[in-house]
Amino acid sequence: MLEFVLLTLLKILGFVLVFCIMLAAVLTWTERKMSAVIQDRIGPNRASILGIRAFGLFHPIADMLKSFVKEDFVPAGANRTLFFLAPAIALVPPLCAFAVVPFGPGDLVISNLDSGMLFVFAILGFGIYGTTLGGWASANNFAMLGSLRGAAQMISYEVSMGLNLVGIFLVFGSVSLTQIVAGQGELLWGWLPRWGIVVQPFGFLLFLAAAMAENKRAPFDLPEGESEIIGYFVEYSAMGFATFMLSEFVEVIVIACIAATLFFGGWQIPWVDPAGTAGGWITVAQVAFFAAKVLFLCWFQMLIRWTVPRFRYDQVMSLGWKVLLPLSLVNILATAVVLALIA
Amino acid sequence: MVKVKVVERPPADLVVQSWVPELWKGMKVTGRHFFRNVLTGKGIVTSQYPEARRPYPPRYRGKHRLMRREDGSVRCVACFMCSTACPADCIRIVAGERGDENEKYPVVFEVDFIKCVFCGMCEEACPCDAIRLDSGVHRVPAYTRADELSGKEDLLSLGTLSVSRQGGEFK
Amino acid sequence: MPTLTIDGREITVEPGTRIIEAADRLGIDIPRFCYHPGLPVAGNCRMCLVDTNKSPKPVAACWDPCQDGHVVTTNSPRVLEARRAVLEYILLHHPVDCPICDQAGECDLQDLYFAHDHRPSRHFFTKNHKAKQRALGPQIVYDAERCINCTRCIRVCDEIAKAPQLVQVQRGERTYIDVFPGTQLDHPYSMCTADVCPVGALTTRDFRFKCRAWLTHGIDTVCGECSRGCAIRADVYRNEVQRLVPRHDPEVNGYWACDAGRLAYHRFEAGRLEAARVAGAPAPYAQAVREAAEALPGAATGGVAVVLTPWMTCEDAAAVVAMVRSAAPGAVFAVGGAAAGQADSVLVKADKNPNHAGLRRVLEAAGVVLVPVDEVVARAPSLAALVVLGTEHAQADALAAALRQAPLSIAVAALDGPLAGAARIAFPGLSPYETDGTWVNEAGLSRRVRQALVPPAEARGYGTWASDLADRMGRPLAGGDAAAGKGA
Ligand code: SF4
Ligand code: SF4
Ligand code: SF4
Ligand code: SF4
Ligand code: FES
Repeated sequence: MLEFVLLTLLKILGFVLVFCIMLAAVLTWTERKMSAVIQDRIGPNRASILGIRAFGLFHPIADMLKSFVKEDFVPAGANRTLFFLAPAIALVPPLCAFAVVPFGPGDLVISNLDSGMLFVFAILGFGIYGTTLGGWASANNFAMLGSLRGAAQMISYEVSMGLNLVGIFLVFGSVSLTQIVAGQGELLWGWLPRWGIVVQPFGFLLFLAAAMAENKRAPFDLPEGESEIIGYFVEYSAMGFATFMLSEFVEVIVIACIAATLFFGGWQIPWVDPAGTAGGWITVAQVAFFAAKVLFLCWFQMLIRWTVPRFRYDQVMSLGWKVLLPLSLVNILATAVVLALIA
Repeated sequence: MVKVKVVERPPADLVVQSWVPELWKGMKVTGRHFFRNVLTGKGIVTSQYPEARRPYPPRYRGKHRLMRREDGSVRCVACFMCSTACPADCIRIVAGERGDENEKYPVVFEVDFIKCVFCGMCEEACPCDAIRLDSGVHRVPAYTRADELSGKEDLLSLGTLSVSRQGGEFK
Repeated sequence: MPTLTIDGREITVEPGTRIIEAADRLGIDIPRFCYHPGLPVAGNCRMCLVDTNKSPKPVAACWDPCQDGHVVTTNSPRVLEARRAVLEYILLHHPVDCPICDQAGECDLQDLYFAHDHRPSRHFFTKNHKAKQRALGPQIVYDAERCINCTRCIRVCDEIAKAPQLVQVQRGERTYIDVFPGTQLDHPYSMCTADVCPVGALTTRDFRFKCRAWLTHGIDTVCGECSRGCAIRADVYRNEVQRLVPRHDPEVNGYWACDAGRLAYHRFEAGRLEAARVAGAPAPYAQAVREAAEALPGAATGGVAVVLTPWMTCEDAAAVVAMVRSAAPGAVFAVGGAAAGQADSVLVKADKNPNHAGLRRVLEAAGVVLVPVDEVVARAPSLAALVVLGTEHAQADALAAALRQAPLSIAVAALDGPLAGAARIAFPGLSPYETDGTWVNEAGLSRRVRQALVPPAEARGYGTWASDLADRMGRPLAGGDAAAGKGA
């Protein structure tokens, strides 16, 4: 028992706290650096330690220090309890979602739930509370409107996000992430990895769109609209704001992890038979391969963010309800028919 | 009659509306910039300001300066041509008696840099090459309005001897 | 009565009229330097040459009298060429100091050069140099290089001021104007020489280098320094009077004004009472009005005296009288004013106040019986309220003492001084250059005084002040004269 607890704690420490949180911090830097580089600028490069600038990699540290020492402003009339609670509510659910993500073969998952994806949906649904309460507790009409936009958008896209994964569940016959990963280890016709993106390409596109909308990032950043419309965390400063920011980046990683797991074979290395290679190194390689896929998908999301301009709010809603939702249903139907025919 | 050319909105067909090819096109552009700049840094146009300064163009004007006579005194004769020509009305002159054959000189000569638009009208209006906008010295912003006033001593400190002849006689 | 034709237009004039006068009446412009309508004709500059049918050569329009059957041409090629030649000659040794010349912008030589010559000098020798910045007197500085020897200045001294102090010396191109050895140009009209000087040869010390002529805007108003009430123009730049120059008013002052009147504006450049004061402490105007309006009617039974000033306009006087009468029907009025001074045979009058005549008319119409100021001073201890308007009173010190004795004392003063200091409630008033209204001079001619400057924010004219007080007392002034005073 003790061994199990210690091992789980170790996995949480290694995967969630070290890998994910660190990655989220680095992503704040990546985001700014990437936008700069795409726009032919240099980007942040001034923070330095002992004169070493390291391409501005110290900026996340500087930001963190700044967030700690800045005034934690609470607007007059705000509900203090909820105001402080909201950022935490926004951050915790995406962190919990990592529990069922297998980052390596065998036991390298924090909790191997049979209901894996259902757990993820359930827990991510909590994120809406962070957004809504944050806006509501601020006692600011603009923040309130922002949080209403956020809640409506997240609920809308949650539906299609769930539905367009059904195709994957049908194909692999399971909602457990571990089993889905295992299913992707095979090769089709002897040469093509049976990854989710291969068997469900359409489902992948739909999932990506829905997931980015769910995460409220550009081009779906209407709840926040940092550059001109005012969003739900407008009243937040210091750590409260930093926490909201961090939760956003953690969600980027969650989406990358889930996409890697469901559509890119998780920790599987194609054409390499783990049974045929020796011992521990293949496991290390597989974990590294999983990390590489996650990093790539994070990068990919950011590239989209800095490519596509923002939608209008009515476009966001009609895209969710009138396009993504019907297409997900069609996808399910088509998948089911094909599976029935094959079987 | 102005010819009006009506440009039809390009039809948003299914391919465009599916977003995927369009997104791909856009990502090719951003991706190209990304890889080019990450790998070679060639496209980056930022200059690192305090360390690397872009040279001013040769015709950069900078602050005004008041030119000097051979004896080092101010060349200006307080004729008010500059302040009359100034579109911002930012030159204040109080004229005084020099007591020699040159008669008039500015006791006070103030340019209000908070109003000045650096148009050079004053320089153009000056009949005796007394005020110039060619110092190339950047105007330093100040904290108070009073500090934006640049007085005679300040303007004169940038001044040099003028090459044009005083008196305008034919020779 | 000779009838003549100028540029095809016929005019009949009295015998002896000069051609230039006839042309002026027709509105035909003949350029001139030495001719001045207010001075005897000299005919020395030759700028006014015109062609006539009665002489083979062009003649000077300022000198030749009109004759019957005269046909005058002012714009034939020959005339234009003659003007050009005259100008070239006048400009031969001219320094062309325009940038530092105070006349620039209102210089006849400049204007005519641009209209008639407008070509570079053909004179390539060294120019004649003459005296510059020569002080001819306390008010006048002379620049001999700019002088075109038109002798207007000499004629002003000889004919207008009756003080022949200037003279032409030397001959030919070395001619210049000078005072006699050991004397100076110091008669009371010396600044008129600078006015008539068509170029920048004569400048007044007052305006010299102060401001460029084109920057000012002129407001036509009236001088208040004596009861002649000369027509003057206040040249204003950045809400400051830069100079006062006489205007033409044939019934009052001709073209002239005395030096003292033209320097009077300096009196109001400093020492203004900027804000109202109640019991010695600065107070908002509205509060001072409230205090005065509350106290004045209460004092009515105990005796109220009001000292008016002959510097106030008729409209202001009517408004003040109406207000005081309605607050305290038994109030007595006195008229103060500056002490009488020296008169001369030209313009200056002994009465050093501008509007005694007008004030008299207003008070007569209102049926006010005046008491002497001395009596008001003597009765001061027994008065319930004493109101003193203006600061230019000869008995200012006695009035200040009287203000201290009266239980309620009110002063309206443009300048801070003993009167404003002694009154319990002091209101900031307007200077004559901030006032609008009517003055009536000693000859009974009424003339309009115009506001040239924006007054200090809290200062009010007597009429506005009276009307504000009346409003506050709940007895607004009726229409007519009193309402007109409100605009002051
Ligand atoms: S540069 Fe232009 S705005 Fe500035 S002082 Fe000269 S004339 Fe005025
Ligand atoms: S700077 Fe030139 S234009 Fe201005 S007052 Fe002096 S001389 Fe005249
Ligand atoms: S007198 Fe007239 S022309 Fe001569 S310098 Fe003065 S402004 Fe110029
Ligand atoms: S000083 Fe003036 S008014 Fe007198 S003669 Fe010379 S130009 Fe004429
Ligand atoms: S104006 Fe006639 S000669 Fe001077």
